[in-house]
Amino acid sequence: MTSAPAIESPPGAGDARKVSVAQVLVYELRVRDAMSAPPVTAGPADSLRAIQSLMKTHRISGVPIVENGALTGIISIEDIIRALDKGYINDPAAQRMNRQVVTLRDHYSLMRAVAEFDRHDFGRFPVLNSDNELVGILTRGDITNCLMHHLERRAEQALAQEAALRATRAEDEAAHRLVVRAHVRTGDYDSAGKVSQRMRQVLRERGVDPEIRRRAAVVAYEAETNIIIHSLGGEIITTIDPDQVVIEANDVGPGIENIDQAMQEGWSTAGRLPRELGFGAGMGLPNIKRCSDKLDIVSDGKQGTRLRSVIYLHKPGEPT
Amino acid sequence: MKTQTPFSSRTLLADLRAAPLTDDVPQTLSGCYISDLLSDVLAHAEPGVIWVTIQTHRNVISVAATKDIAAVLFTCGRKPEADVIAEAEAEGIALLATPLTTYEAAGKLWTAGLRGDRNHE
Repeated sequence: MTSAPAIESPPGAGDARKVSVAQVLVYELRVRDAMSAPPVTAGPADSLRAIQSLMKTHRISGVPIVENGALTGIISIEDIIRALDKGYINDPAAQRMNRQVVTLRDHYSLMRAVAEFDRHDFGRFPVLNSDNELVGILTRGDITNCLMHHLERRAEQALAQEAALRATRAEDEAAHRLVVRAHVRTGDYDSAGKVSQRMRQVLRERGVDPEIRRRAAVVAYEAETNIIIHSLGGEIITTIDPDQVVIEANDVGPGIENIDQAMQEGWSTAGRLPRELGFGAGMGLPNIKRCSDKLDIVSDGKQGTRLRSVIYLHKPGEPT
Repeated sequence: MKTQTPFSSRTLLADLRAAPLTDDVPQTLSGCYISDLLSDVLAHAEPGVIWVTIQTHRNVISVAATKDIAAVLFTCGRKPEADVIAEAEAEGIALLATPLTTYEAAGKLWTAGLRGDRNHE
């Protein structure tokens, strides 16, 4: 992104983008990003009543049962309710726990975790790492929280980016910098001079000396018509500062074979149509050179041509 | 500042048998430049001149505006399209059209007292 107010600005992305961010997130985020860790666990000898107390203290709805570091079962809040109902709340977990525990791996995507919640009717899954160690527990609520958190972070980042962009624009405005950029299409003779026209207008508004103004306009116009006549298309960027104008003309090719030759007055490779229109007199580059205070041209057969002309807006010795 | 040659627009139009294409006709001209090559005009025309040419497409207006040219005289009965005239109006450039050839038009302008715009040392 350029650090300047440009003529063309990308169309604003609306709600469609937010949806796609959430969609991307469920694929990007892993179970390990969302799970509660470390998990609250109990041993097989612990009573259901002790486990009920754990659930109350930690406000959780399921407790994995671990023996010698290995997951052996799980007790859920439903198991506790059943135990209270049937009067075996003092039994040890080992006697009543569900031993067919369905687990998730910590590297699974949240997308896959959501699918597992849909397939099984569980409220939570113990999460194992690649060494089969219990590393966390995941509920639907964990997934929602994680997504909300990351969405919020993305939104904050976007806002910060926007603010930074606004700041550079404000800086440019404070420096009275104006950047006009425009695409130039090959053969589009009818559009020639549009960039130059806008630049002339700005320079006139800023009270730049007419003679200097005309030199800048000639450079911009010749550079623009060069792209139209000789290239496969390109771009003109004029950066107008209080003390100078920089005109950059970049095209995508085919490049100038011999720059020294092209700088000679009268030498032209223009075809019949541009010549009939009064172009192709072989004076474009010489004109640009004569009107520039500084000129750099880089061109090769593959990369196209990059021209950079600088025109100072104050005469030597004149107070700025 | 270049001296502006006061010029009677009525004389100009009568001598050249020219029709004004824009609302404004310049009251003063600093000189004249004749060329059909756009880059040549960009290189050599001075501000405030009347430019005589047979080119009628819209780039003539762009070039004239770039060089602060006051008026463009189209010769040999050529006339630009309406959108070109509209653009000249917007840029404040006067357009005139004459049935005379460029050579004849140049003769009339010289006879009317208009000189070149450059000092040739």
